[in-house]
Amino acid sequence: MSVSTQPTRRFIARPRGLLLPLALLVLAVLAAFTLLPGLIAPHDPIALAMADRLKPPSLSHIFGTDEGGRDVFSRIVYGTRYSLGVAIVIVFASALFGVVYGAISGMARQGIDNLLMRIVDLFFGFPALVLALAVAASIGRGLDSVALSLAIIWWPGYARLVRGEVLRLRKRPHVEAARALGVSEVTILRRHIIPFVVEEVNVRVTTDIGYALVAVTALSFLGLGANSPTPEWGLLIRDSRPYFGSAWWYLVFPGTMIMLTATAFSLIGDALASRRAA
Amino acid sequence: MILSVRDFSIGFQREGQNLVAVDGISFDIEQGETFVIIGESGSGKSLTGMSIAGLQPQNAFVSGSIRFKDREILKRPDAELRKLRGPQIGLIYQDPLSSLNPVWPVGDQIAETLTAHGLAGRDEARKRAVEMLERVRIPDPHRVASAYPHEISGGMRQRAMIAMALAAGPSLLIADEPTTALDVTIKAQMLELLAELKREMALTIVLITHDMGVVAEVADRILVLYAGRIAEVGPADAIMLQPSHPYTAALMTSAMISQTPAKQELNAIVGGAPGLGAFPPGCRFHPRCPRAQADCRTVEPPRRKIGAVELACHHPIAAAVPLATARN
Amino acid sequence: MALLELDAVSKTFSQRRGGRAVQAVAGVSLAVGKGETLGLVGESGCGKSTLARLALKLADVTAGRIRFDGIDVTEFASRRMLPIRRRLQAVFQDPLASLNARMTIAEVMREPFDTHGVKLGANLDSRIRELLSFVGLENIDLQKLPGQFSGGQLQRIAIARALALEPEIIVADEPTSALDPSIQAQIVNLMLRIQRKRGISYLIISHDLDVIGHVADRIAVMYLGVIIEQGTATEIMERPLHPYTQALLSAAPTLAARRQAGWKRIMLSGDPPNPADVPSGCRFHPRCHLARDICRTNAPELRAMPGLGQMVACHLAPEETARTGAEVGRARRGMQAVG
Repeated sequence: MSVSTQPTRRFIARPRGLLLPLALLVLAVLAAFTLLPGLIAPHDPIALAMADRLKPPSLSHIFGTDEGGRDVFSRIVYGTRYSLGVAIVIVFASALFGVVYGAISGMARQGIDNLLMRIVDLFFGFPALVLALAVAASIGRGLDSVALSLAIIWWPGYARLVRGEVLRLRKRPHVEAARALGVSEVTILRRHIIPFVVEEVNVRVTTDIGYALVAVTALSFLGLGANSPTPEWGLLIRDSRPYFGSAWWYLVFPGTMIMLTATAFSLIGDALASRRAA
Repeated sequence: MILSVRDFSIGFQREGQNLVAVDGISFDIEQGETFVIIGESGSGKSLTGMSIAGLQPQNAFVSGSIRFKDREILKRPDAELRKLRGPQIGLIYQDPLSSLNPVWPVGDQIAETLTAHGLAGRDEARKRAVEMLERVRIPDPHRVASAYPHEISGGMRQRAMIAMALAAGPSLLIADEPTTALDVTIKAQMLELLAELKREMALTIVLITHDMGVVAEVADRILVLYAGRIAEVGPADAIMLQPSHPYTAALMTSAMISQTPAKQELNAIVGGAPGLGAFPPGCRFHPRCPRAQADCRTVEPPRRKIGAVELACHHPIAAAVPLATARN
Repeated sequence: MALLELDAVSKTFSQRRGGRAVQAVAGVSLAVGKGETLGLVGESGCGKSTLARLALKLADVTAGRIRFDGIDVTEFASRRMLPIRRRLQAVFQDPLASLNARMTIAEVMREPFDTHGVKLGANLDSRIRELLSFVGLENIDLQKLPGQFSGGQLQRIAIARALALEPEIIVADEPTSALDPSIQAQIVNLMLRIQRKRGISYLIISHDLDVIGHVADRIAVMYLGVIIEQGTATEIMERPLHPYTQALLSAAPTLAARRQAGWKRIMLSGDPPNPADVPSGCRFHPRCHLARDICRTNAPELRAMPGLGQMVACHLAPEETARTGAEVGRARRGMQAVG
């Protein structure tokens, strides 16, 4: 399984009709799940209740139960802060580092810029899975290990994006005009370049959260991420493997959740991008 | 008469409001003449030109009538108008890159004009494409025909665009600001080329511009547009030598910069053209007009004729200082 | 002593993927005196915009020196340039593009003061209002963004900003080209007015001969990186001696001249030149109808014309070009040719 960190450039179509409101609704639900899981989840996500194991969806367990009798819905709700939370942390951290790195590279002399970008290339070429395994081997499995390896994989994309934008903006007429006025390079960066870069980065961050989520859950699925009994979505899918045939709800609902979340972020990212392109 | 426009209006819906960009204009274009539509930003000149070719923006609403060779073409379905574009009506723009497809060789694009309208088979069309490139005075037409747009110089792209517009032998050529972004010497080349092609191919040309020099050089008849309405329309000599509408007069004098003694202040019109949706009541030029009076501020000026010129003004300039004897 | 002096300035760009270097500017010398206007005229590819950027120290020269009020500023880095920049300001072609779209007009106008540490305290706002008033924008809303103004208004704001620190010279790169004709006249008037009231010098770069001929005291004509003719405005406009200048003037005559039957212009063959592919000898020879063998091999130097005021870089001037020059000058003004 390849962990894609570089979404291909696609046409930026503003999500039409109901799509955007739906995406925002999903976002609101996710926020609720993250911040107030106790209020929403009807059952304890961790406590075992063997009597109810592998029950299909019903009124008391709307997403059914898992092999430990735990309510799948509640596990999903509590799992949000792990799966989505880690994804957000990864993206924000790598964006922050990448932006600083890219800005320095973009403003620097050609020699330093080249050097910094060769380093970025090095990171780009690194196979994500191998790195994740290596990190897991050294600091142990778990969400923090996954977060670290994904952040290392992710930041070069931002560095390149920001460096490209900075280079482009440096030649813009309004930057030249500021230079002719005598404005210092640092102030030019702060006042005349960064605000425009940030717009672009925001778009990327939003879409990337969806991709990061898929990556986190994938690594957990492979066993490198969260450990039982953490209700992380990828782990739920992993745990559901023996029961694919008999307990469809165990796989379908967590999987759908991942898909919905990733799609929602992608749509919102598109909306931001189309507003920028307008 | 090759083109007849009656009460033509075009507008847009923006935030629930109907904004009218061109407001009920009427004019005729005779066969074989060069008809120049002059206007500055916000005058609606490009919208008018595009509408003649049926290429107005999709979200625009239009009304009135445009008759080409005595056939109504406004509001006709695009499938019908597409048959006109190419064989009957040709179009050139300011920027050749917007009409040339970057991933096709130039010759193929010209040939497509012919094959799409069933005027020639593939091989014949390719041959005629090369002939057309030669006709627009491109040296080495075979090389250019197999080249991509980015591989040839800007000047040649201009000519290639003209070749494409004229390949199917239209009788009407609409040129939307064709010389605006060009260097002076290239502008001169293009005007000479258009004049020659007009003679050779018996074209009627509708040229849209704000460049007075171009107008002076090529216009047979002129239409002066201001803020979506006609200020003045008539023979070029009459209008240029003795402008009756204050806006036209102001345009002429501000273009006569070389006849104002050096370093002296020019006769400039104050203010700027009103934007869409911000048109003043009455005569739209009144806030900037040195001759404005009470009726100009409230009543739309009627169309009247002074000799061969039609204009819309309450208080036209009676005996203007003719262009030819301006201070020098 | 000249206020701004460019001494044998060259700028060569190396191509990334091999290939020949692009000689944008080759050995250009110019001087702008106090209170005078020097017009630099040329078409695309002549290097005039590059020259503007060199004069403003927005790019480094490959050779030559730049002097401001006698001080050699060629090697000055941005810190040392700061006090110079206060005296040397710029106005650019596209007023919307040369302003930060996300800054309000108030912020735009404050920037020069902040940058040069000029603290006016409570007086800052009234000074800004005064500047805007001076350029004809009395009651504009300072909290609006550039995108909410017209081209003409924006260019006035740009000029007001350039005047904020009371510079001695303004370099204007195509200041009217992006504007409607009626607005162009307004901006020309504004620039003339500013010069009359403040004694500011201008280096105006343009392809518009009408504007240059009207506002300049002296004119330099540029072609493919070199100055090919230089003189007073009267000399250049009434008796151009270089074949290129003649073609340029004859290509854009007065309105009256254009409508005269039988008026013929000097046509240049070929496309505008490519600075990556500079011809040998005289750079203009491929398009010149007078070209001889010597033109193809020897690059002519810019030299003074005996008995006439201007300097021309042409082997055949003035002997073979003077007569055409006089004709072009007359024809351009719509007067009949003599003889």
